[in-house]
Amino acid sequence: MLTTEIIIQTIVSGILMGCIYALVAVGLCLIWGLMEIVNFAHGDYLMMAMFTSFWAYTLAGIDPLLSLPLCLALLFAIGWFTYYIIIKKLLRATFLAQILATFGLGVFVRYLAQYMWSPDFRTIKEPLLAGNIGIGGIFVGTPQLVASIICVVAFVFLYVLMNKTELGFAILATSEDREAASLMGIDSHKMFALGWGVGCGCLGVAGAMMANFFYIFPEVGFNFGLIAYVAVALGGFGSVPGSFLAGIIIGVVEFLSGLIIAPAFKYAFVFLIYLLVVFIKPMGLFGRY
Amino acid sequence: MKNKNWVWLIIGAILVLLFPVFFTLPFPRHLMIMIFLYATMGLAWNLIGGYAGQISLGHAIFFGTGAYTSTLMLMKLGITPWLGMLVGGLLSMGIAFVIGYPCFKLAGHYFAIATIAIGEIAMVLMINWDWAGSAVGLTLPILEEGLWNFEFHTTKAPYYYIAFGIMVFALFVTYGVDRSKLGFYFKAIKGDLEGARSLGINTHRYKFYALALSAFLTSICGSFYAQYVLFIDPDSTFPLLLSIILCLVATLGGVGTILGPVIGAAILIPISEFTRIYLGGGGKGTDLILYGFLIMIISIYQPFGVIGIAKRLRKRESR
Amino acid sequence: MKKGLFIGFIAAGLLTLGLASPAPAQEVIKIGSIYPLTGPVGQAGINNKNAIELAMEIINTTKYKHLNVPLAGAGGLPNLKGAKVQVVFSDHQGKPDLGLSEAERMITQEKVVVLTGCYHSNVTETASMVAERMKFPFYNFESSSPKLTQRGYKWFFRSSPHDETFSEAMFAFVKEYGQKKKIQFKTIAVMYEDTLYGKDSARIEKLLADKAGYKVVADIPFRRGATSLTSEIQKLKAASPDIFFPTCYISDAILMTKTSKELDYNAPMVMAQNSGHTEPSFLEAVGKDADGIASREEFSLDLAKHKPMLTEINQMYKDRYGRDFSGPAARAFVGFLALCDAINRAGSTNPEAIREAIKKTNIPGDKLITPWRGIQFDENGQNILVDAIVIQYQDGAKRYTIYPFNLATREIVYPIPRWSERK
Repeated sequence: MLTTEIIIQTIVSGILMGCIYALVAVGLCLIWGLMEIVNFAHGDYLMMAMFTSFWAYTLAGIDPLLSLPLCLALLFAIGWFTYYIIIKKLLRATFLAQILATFGLGVFVRYLAQYMWSPDFRTIKEPLLAGNIGIGGIFVGTPQLVASIICVVAFVFLYVLMNKTELGFAILATSEDREAASLMGIDSHKMFALGWGVGCGCLGVAGAMMANFFYIFPEVGFNFGLIAYVAVALGGFGSVPGSFLAGIIIGVVEFLSGLIIAPAFKYAFVFLIYLLVVFIKPMGLFGRY
Repeated sequence: MKNKNWVWLIIGAILVLLFPVFFTLPFPRHLMIMIFLYATMGLAWNLIGGYAGQISLGHAIFFGTGAYTSTLMLMKLGITPWLGMLVGGLLSMGIAFVIGYPCFKLAGHYFAIATIAIGEIAMVLMINWDWAGSAVGLTLPILEEGLWNFEFHTTKAPYYYIAFGIMVFALFVTYGVDRSKLGFYFKAIKGDLEGARSLGINTHRYKFYALALSAFLTSICGSFYAQYVLFIDPDSTFPLLLSIILCLVATLGGVGTILGPVIGAAILIPISEFTRIYLGGGGKGTDLILYGFLIMIISIYQPFGVIGIAKRLRKRESR
Repeated sequence: MKKGLFIGFIAAGLLTLGLASPAPAQEVIKIGSIYPLTGPVGQAGINNKNAIELAMEIINTTKYKHLNVPLAGAGGLPNLKGAKVQVVFSDHQGKPDLGLSEAERMITQEKVVVLTGCYHSNVTETASMVAERMKFPFYNFESSSPKLTQRGYKWFFRSSPHDETFSEAMFAFVKEYGQKKKIQFKTIAVMYEDTLYGKDSARIEKLLADKAGYKVVADIPFRRGATSLTSEIQKLKAASPDIFFPTCYISDAILMTKTSKELDYNAPMVMAQNSGHTEPSFLEAVGKDADGIASREEFSLDLAKHKPMLTEINQMYKDRYGRDFSGPAARAFVGFLALCDAINRAGSTNPEAIREAIKKTNIPGDKLITPWRGIQFDENGQNILVDAIVIQYQDGAKRYTIYPFNLATREIVYPIPRWSERK
């Protein structure tokens, strides 16, 4: 029987997962917002973050919670270098070339990981964050709860960074008008690289947290990447808070439709919501472009 | 076309036709069949993506529709796959219209992601549709060999010629489009949508034509695939990766050109097949590592594909 | 110009490939084996590979003449001039289209004489379809979907039971146990991965439930290789069945158990379909959380009471590979020996001759480490002398036979203690 308790439990699970989707989407939106390039390798970079956490645990015994700074720093660096080595050359390329290039990057990273680390599913056997917390009949996994809290904190931190600091202003200025910004002495390339770094840094945080409770394998990022694009488009390209909200909406839709209709169709519903929103509002919920 | 090019083409066609006579082992023939198949699908994608400039990342839906339509008609109604192929093609065209109607309103990224969304929804539906085999897939019955049954067991040669025929058909269609008013309109839409519209071109209608043609050709390949392999499931016929590879085949060779997709297939497919055979059976994904790398390099340095490179070389030569 | 280049390139590439092909060695009999060696179910494939390699060693060397299994210590195949048996392994990662292309490659490039595999029922389905199409023998050791021997194929053989036999054993246990303890079971739920294995298993479980008068209160398919089963377990919790029948592979089983613990789903009785829930890597991942799970099986160390050679052979396996036999691995061991025995009786590498020899197989039960009466095939290629047992994990993931009652070493723990009550 579908009691209210079970429905509430499902919504809570959906919100928790949604916070993770949200942070991943925010990273993607940032990158897009800066230079109008959709990073199709986003999901696969998330996979790299998860593996970083895994190897830190397996080879050095560092718990995922503690390797969070490591993942954050590593993914930031990877994002930064990705900009300079690959993306910089795509700034003036055709739309098709941009899509294909980041797509190719994603495929490359994914199957390189598969070649090096095999397609086996890995888990972190005994993370610090384990078990569940029961609050009046609602059970939430401790790792999931902590993960979503940290994702929200990361988002708030990011928001403050972008909207209240000089660095944030510089980045925003560059995204609005590159030439004007450079006239003011802002190095647009550095800003873009920074944007990539921060966008991928989000993945570092999300990935390290997910490593606590999710299976880790080379193709795990693929689905998350897809959901992130849908979230960004749903929220509307150019709106970072929109992406965050959309991520949470998607989480709830996924879990609720899984419970009420059928678990087998949960992703179909996520995509359906995207199509519906986009047909009514061709620029997403809060999009500006 | 210049006389010299016609001569080369005829020589090429003769060599291709004689190929199975000299290469009797199954693997080389399989390789060529795969090249023909992907070249055709690349050509199909090229019509909407290359000529009309609408980047579709959901083309696998047409491949899958073709494969499943002809197979289901065979298994449930006993109808020959040739007819099933035709019906599948028409059904795919219908799906193209249904997709196009709402999606062509969308621009750029939104359109691309919409095509991905539709492709993924199709995948989920097929995985859960019990009548059509769901995730288990459909294993075609092993029938007596013959053209009517569209099954050959002792030799791949008939498959080879059929696949070649399909590719030649697709080449003719592309050539026809390229030289016709239709093609002119497609290129206009790609180049400058607003400009085209202001010239009075009904852009929606022509986008439809491009997508419908593209869908039909892709669908035929799906039916062929089903008859060749005798097993289909959602993972092998509707996946996003397939849609990307179709796009890649056309782009690698040269988007918006007639021979581009053929060249793209001729480069990509051997990579995939050779790595599969020689780097240990069972797809370690080494071919995909190479693919990914190639895609990046081509997109960054020469987005006009191999043909673009060839043109640049020729320009340098003629100086 | 570019067309010429393109043709030349293709021709050159194919020339090297098309004309060269590996010449088959005469002193070795090659058998093709397609298993999942990597991926979420990789460990299961590796266990089977190990079992096969152990069997190979027993045949190809002379050290183990004392073992009462076919071809023990024969030093090769006697009727084929002592030719050694060699297995060519290949990885299908759980993908049927990979299995299909690998089957074709094995037959045409590797020149094997028989194909075996594939653990996953859906991959076995496609790989054996290729074999049937090319009139080539396919010998399956462990896939359990009944459909595989219901296709009217003439070249397919399966030495182990299928899910009708297995599920009948489980339902028979439930009925007899219910009668003994005067418990009236009313409802069941099935949850299964969505490929051939899961679907066929659920179909039979629902059928048998119907016959026994149990109501199916939840029917939950899920995508194999799932990364989240929260919605599914929620649905299960809402349905609250008396008996829960899961059917899935390793990674799904691990996730299922973990999620059940997380969401505090307490099933009074769990009847699993082997594979995921009884693989050693499952036990390693969930530890004592596996306690209470019962499953149909083909192998349990406590059966050594009735078949003493079980202990020695298991020890050989454990010495080499670090763990006990699992059910599927035991089936692979037994099946491989039976297959080589057939090839030996055929005395030739001709596919037709091998097929005839397999058809005439008649190996008595005392030569097997599985609890069967023997190996003998019917006209569909199914071994008709098979039997199944039911086991349950107790006391920290230790395996005990609980059915049939004459072989049982312990009684079932029922109901399974709630998560909150366990230490």
